[in-house]
Amino acid sequence: MLSSANLPPKPPPGVAPLPPGWTQHKAPTGHPYYYNMATKQSTYTRPVFQSQAPSPPPPPVTPSSQNAQIPNAFPGPFGGNFGQQGNFRSQGGFGPPGNFGQPGSFGSQGNFGPQGNFGQQGNLVPQGNFGPQGNFGSQGNFGQQYQGFPGGQHRGNHRGGHNFDRRDAERRAKDRPKHRKDIPGCAPWVLVKTKLGRRFVHNTETNESFWKYPEEVRKGVVELDKIEREKKQRKECGEPNGDETEVPVQVEKTQADKAQEETAQGAEPRPGASEERAQDENGDSSEYEEVEVTDDEEEDNPSKRQRTEEPAEDQPVEFNEDDIAYQLAAMGQDYGLDPGEYGDGEDGDWEEGAEGLPLTEEDSKALFRDLLDDFHISPYHTWEKLIEEGKIIDDDRYTALTNMKARKECWSEWSRDKVQELRELREKQEKNDPKIPYMAFLQKNATPKLFWPEFRRKYKKEPEMKDMKVSDKDRERWYREHINRLKLPQATLKSDLTALLKAQPLSVLNQSTSLDALPPTLLGDIRFISLSPSTRDSLLETYIGTLPAVPEGATASAEDDAELEKKRAERERREKALAEREKRVQAEKHKQRRDLEFGRGRLREEEMELERAMRVNKDGLKGYLAEE
Amino acid sequence: MPPTRTHARSRKPPPEGFSDIEDTLLEFSNKMKDAENASHEGKKKYETLWPIFQITHQRSRYIYDLYYEKEAISKPLYDWLIKNGYADAMLIAKWKKQGYEKLCCLRCIQTKETNFSSTCICRVPREQLKDGQDIQCVSCGCRGCSSGD
Repeated sequence: MLSSANLPPKPPPGVAPLPPGWTQHKAPTGHPYYYNMATKQSTYTRPVFQSQAPSPPPPPVTPSSQNAQIPNAFPGPFGGNFGQQGNFRSQGGFGPPGNFGQPGSFGSQGNFGPQGNFGQQGNLVPQGNFGPQGNFGSQGNFGQQYQGFPGGQHRGNHRGGHNFDRRDAERRAKDRPKHRKDIPGCAPWVLVKTKLGRRFVHNTETNESFWKYPEEVRKGVVELDKIEREKKQRKECGEPNGDETEVPVQVEKTQADKAQEETAQGAEPRPGASEERAQDENGDSSEYEEVEVTDDEEEDNPSKRQRTEEPAEDQPVEFNEDDIAYQLAAMGQDYGLDPGEYGDGEDGDWEEGAEGLPLTEEDSKALFRDLLDDFHISPYHTWEKLIEEGKIIDDDRYTALTNMKARKECWSEWSRDKVQELRELREKQEKNDPKIPYMAFLQKNATPKLFWPEFRRKYKKEPEMKDMKVSDKDRERWYREHINRLKLPQATLKSDLTALLKAQPLSVLNQSTSLDALPPTLLGDIRFISLSPSTRDSLLETYIGTLPAVPEGATASAEDDAELEKKRAERERREKALAEREKRVQAEKHKQRRDLEFGRGRLREEEMELERAMRVNKDGLKGYLAEE
Repeated sequence: MPPTRTHARSRKPPPEGFSDIEDTLLEFSNKMKDAENASHEGKKKYETLWPIFQITHQRSRYIYDLYYEKEAISKPLYDWLIKNGYADAMLIAKWKKQGYEKLCCLRCIQTKETNFSSTCICRVPREQLKDGQDIQCVSCGCRGCSSGD
């Protein structure tokens, strides 16, 4: 899955012995890996003794993160799933992950026979079947360079079909982005030079790469080249320059590569190299033209172009064709690459994901609890209802816990705590007096014109009149009292209200009290509603204005803040860990699919071979030999 | 003539905390109504009763969990719920006993009404059943409620 991260460094000699149950094996590539007979786990990282668990199992990988309805089904290590796929794996079910992609684990090159045969028979196979498809695999950089070779040269030179392909593939595999230079005047664009000396422009902001320089970038590149040439000249003249140091190294290296390539390929002329030299000499715009030409060629196969620009996630869509995937995998095999390597250009992302943040059991639980908290789920609901509603299922955090039993357990724990919390909160809160809404209702609707039975009959449908927490007797009493008070003179009512206000302690009624949040003792009092709201509010406002400020300040807030901050940080960490696990799962899935396609392709290949073998004609063995 | 006192007016309000679980209980009662009114077409005679038993079990379990497991409701509320028929006190009494933690209904442990004075098939632990034997008891449609399962 990753270029370097999937093969952790070998443990230094003299490390701690393996925990019981683990055995050490050697992968075909020579990397040691460890296998646990009991748990059927295999890993590249050396298991060590641990206090809580003998071997930290890699975070469980759900087969599909979105559709997690049946999360109990876990494939073991991914390698294990493909044991039966083909007979090409000697280790059966427990090969270490990544085993697949190593060069040694796959049989002989002869499997690519068909392509080779075509080449030899002199059929007009454009460029060898193998070539253009190779570009699917290589995300941006080294796949593209292939276009630099016009097809004819290939055909003319290769002698033995797949042998050539192999070498060619090796060469392609070697190409990597090597140097990066900022293009002056085109801020996000950089010019990338590959190991084999081809160049392309890359936009660091949009992550786009083009072999063909866009119009606005071309000027910058020309300018850059000019500068470069000047530097070289100066160097030849013997002028020291600070920036120069990197240039000669680069030149040397590419030269060395070229030499190597050329020896490996025998007499095959390498157009790229010669062009390069030609550029060095006349150093003119010809190289830009050349790039354009190759680009036109490339358009024969539109998906190639897409490949260079798309993020890795989109790949599965394009891998639908078995052939492509097979070719891709086979190529990766040839190069000795791992799936992740030829699958995408941005290695950095994956490397980060491979090591990742650990997602412990508590973390998963906490994540699930966060989820429950976030969806404002009532702790009084039943679990079945929660699942039936299915609101939480779509969330990523739902998969943090891997099976239904664990989820249910976590839920019941959470709801217990939540209920406790709610109860404490409610106790802290002022008891919501049922009297208050009734009093407000009285103030709005009560008139001296109605007797109590009439009033009750008129408003019997109102929720305030139906509220069971207030008894009917009380309602009647308060109504009569209120009506009687309405008949009193305004002055008396006002003085009563002032008395009531004065009776309030400073802690509940002070300068910062707003009219919207008056203390319940005030709101529930009959003296409070006797005056009409307009006169009462002005009176209240002036009274509150005269009051002093809150007696004591809130001191405990600083500690609370720290606590909250800590909680938030913890939560962020957890979520990040989950996201990373998700990424890993994606990578695994990716790999799995690719392996599957590869296996299929290989099976098909074998079938074809068998079919060919079954075709018996009269020539006997000789005929076969001739065909080969 | 004394004034007519309607039932609703004289009723005491439910204890504190009822409003929290009211919605869920209402859902249960709706489900129960649906089950009661469901058609019997194509069902066996005893099959129509299964959902009734199952909903009763679920509702009792819900209240049992709230009171004993989560301690989310108060004693007065729990008593009130039992008294008002929201939960089956006899069934809950069985759940508190060892070996009866998952009992589906009281009829399934009633040995006197069976031919061989035995309990219902759903009380048999799964490992004592034959392999692949799929059971569903006649009285409440239970598929197995032994504590070990």
